[in-house]
Amino acid sequence: MRIFDRLRPAVINGLRELQANKVRSLLSMSGIILGVASLVAMVTVVQGMVGNFRQFVDAMGGIEKIAVDRQALPKEQEHLAELSEGITLRDVDQIRATIPLIRNISPEVRVGWSSVVYEGREAVTLILGCTPDYLPVAKRWIDPGQGRFISDLDILHRTDVVILGSSIAADLFPPNVDPLGKVIRVKGKRFTVVGLLNNIEGAGMQIRSGNSKGGGGMWRWRNSGVFIPVTTATSKFTGNDHLTGLGLRIADANDLQHAVDQVERSLLQMHHGLKDFNISTNEETLESFKKTESAFKLSLGGVAAISLFIGGIGIMNVMLASINERIREIGVRKAVGARGSDLFLQFLAEAAVISVLGGVIGLSVSIGIVWLMNYILTQAIPTQAVATLDWKIMAQGLGFSVIVGLVAGVYPALRAAKLDPIEALRHE
Amino acid sequence: MGSLVTIRGLHKAYHMGDETVHALDGVDLDFDRGEYIAILGPSGSGKSTLMHILGFMDQPTSGSIIFEGEEVSSLGADRRAWYRSNRVGFVFQSFNLLPRLTVLENVALPLLYREDSDREANEAAAKHALERVGMSHRLEHRPSQLSGGERQRVAIARAIVGKPSIVFADEPTGNLDVKNVDRILDLLGSLLAEGITVIVVTHDLGVAARARRIISMRAGKVQEDRRQ
Repeated sequence: MRIFDRLRPAVINGLRELQANKVRSLLSMSGIILGVASLVAMVTVVQGMVGNFRQFVDAMGGIEKIAVDRQALPKEQEHLAELSEGITLRDVDQIRATIPLIRNISPEVRVGWSSVVYEGREAVTLILGCTPDYLPVAKRWIDPGQGRFISDLDILHRTDVVILGSSIAADLFPPNVDPLGKVIRVKGKRFTVVGLLNNIEGAGMQIRSGNSKGGGGMWRWRNSGVFIPVTTATSKFTGNDHLTGLGLRIADANDLQHAVDQVERSLLQMHHGLKDFNISTNEETLESFKKTESAFKLSLGGVAAISLFIGGIGIMNVMLASINERIREIGVRKAVGARGSDLFLQFLAEAAVISVLGGVIGLSVSIGIVWLMNYILTQAIPTQAVATLDWKIMAQGLGFSVIVGLVAGVYPALRAAKLDPIEALRHE
Repeated sequence: MGSLVTIRGLHKAYHMGDETVHALDGVDLDFDRGEYIAILGPSGSGKSTLMHILGFMDQPTSGSIIFEGEEVSSLGADRRAWYRSNRVGFVFQSFNLLPRLTVLENVALPLLYREDSDREANEAAAKHALERVGMSHRLEHRPSQLSGGERQRVAIARAIVGKPSIVFADEPTGNLDVKNVDRILDLLGSLLAEGITVIVVTHDLGVAARARRIISMRAGKVQEDRRQ
């Protein structure tokens, strides 16, 4: 007899028992319901959170980014302050020439916060002088049709071109005006818009319309800013060759520590031993994110595992009670020709039916929980941390509940299978 | 009618604590096809044990049983289950119908456990068996909706649905009123015409009197084997 032919009546029988003992079955399911609901909701929310972490770190340049910033001299070197030249383009050449681990170097000059104006429309934003390498280091790009970024020629000729962040473009230009080729005033000086930087929009986080000035979330700053050639910035605005910082990108994240050491040694040498810079990476941020992630996974996963375990015990308990009540039925079935394996299958199927139903109810509860958490999060934070239910996670949750049900059903089913038919028939 | 069962030197011993109880103590019997046999005896005489062993629910401690030409005294559990679903039927004193199943499903139950189980064929066979016992008007009823006599007729339908060689009836009329006793016994008697051997286990002499052969048992032995 094919297994399906044996399973079908067993499953029908299981459903019937369930229907006959509705309250008891629901109670026995409650553990599974809670377990699956918490498991699915937990994984979904943690996954949404992790997605946000990853995106956040990525938006900061990712794990392969090393930031070098200018910094005041430490106390013991303070008396040498006049010898400090700060970070300059000579450092850039030196690093480029001596440290092959560094793939891109982006020298940056923060001109500062200032207003940019186009035909009476004004926006206040950060003006940054940079080079073509800014794009790979910051993991940014320019979408097709949105113009170009700063070129080597711009650096060489100190041209007056500007690239706008998407939110600045939205603030400065009406929707029907193409910003490309327009002349705007940056800190009073005329610049031609040649490109628009890509808009950062996370799957996990949604940036609200750039038009609403008061709105925008914690990520809005990533879409603001205007970018000009670094040489233009030093000659037109700052008047000296000091850089505010360097953005470095390494080829392989595994070389991070080597690269940091090499950059530090190279810069100390260039700066005559003066520690007037600070080197930082995103590694710590990522590490702390990872720790938070695993802490969440462990604690919530533990809760889900415990409730699934309890759910399993609940099913086992109800199955044992049900078998105890139906000893005579087991005797009758055996007397008319049921083998031990038939009864084993029957009671295992009953446990599976309970757990599958519990799992399905648990899934619908988890949908509610995730919806509720999304609602609370959107109320609490102006951004929308949207955790979306993944059918894979739901399938896993259901799979877990089935496994728990089957494991919990094995022992009671074995007991039923092993009952002696004569004894069972005598049972009152 | 050829020989159906040949029993030689059948022993069954139980251990109850330190004591060994010989429920069957050397039983030799032969049953033919289509026989109507009553096994009489007080409780503890071994008649139930004999029925359980012949009905493939239990195994003897020693001795030989040739059933339809095959030695069956030491079959494994699954093989005995096969014989129960294919070769024998049981009728119990307390009917033993499953309360959650309909009459039709109760009757079809033995067929469910067969190798070649097929839903439609099972149902057809169950309907036929219910017709045979005059219960085809109650197919979708639950056992609790039936009278005692009706329940026992359904139980007989269940016993014969698999076209068995032997039907065992264990005090089949013990829970019935006088009016229904005759009906049930008539029904059991009518099975002989189909070549079924009917073995009624009872201590009611009136019930035993219907049989053509009465085997009296006492202390695990056949005391008397009388044909009438």
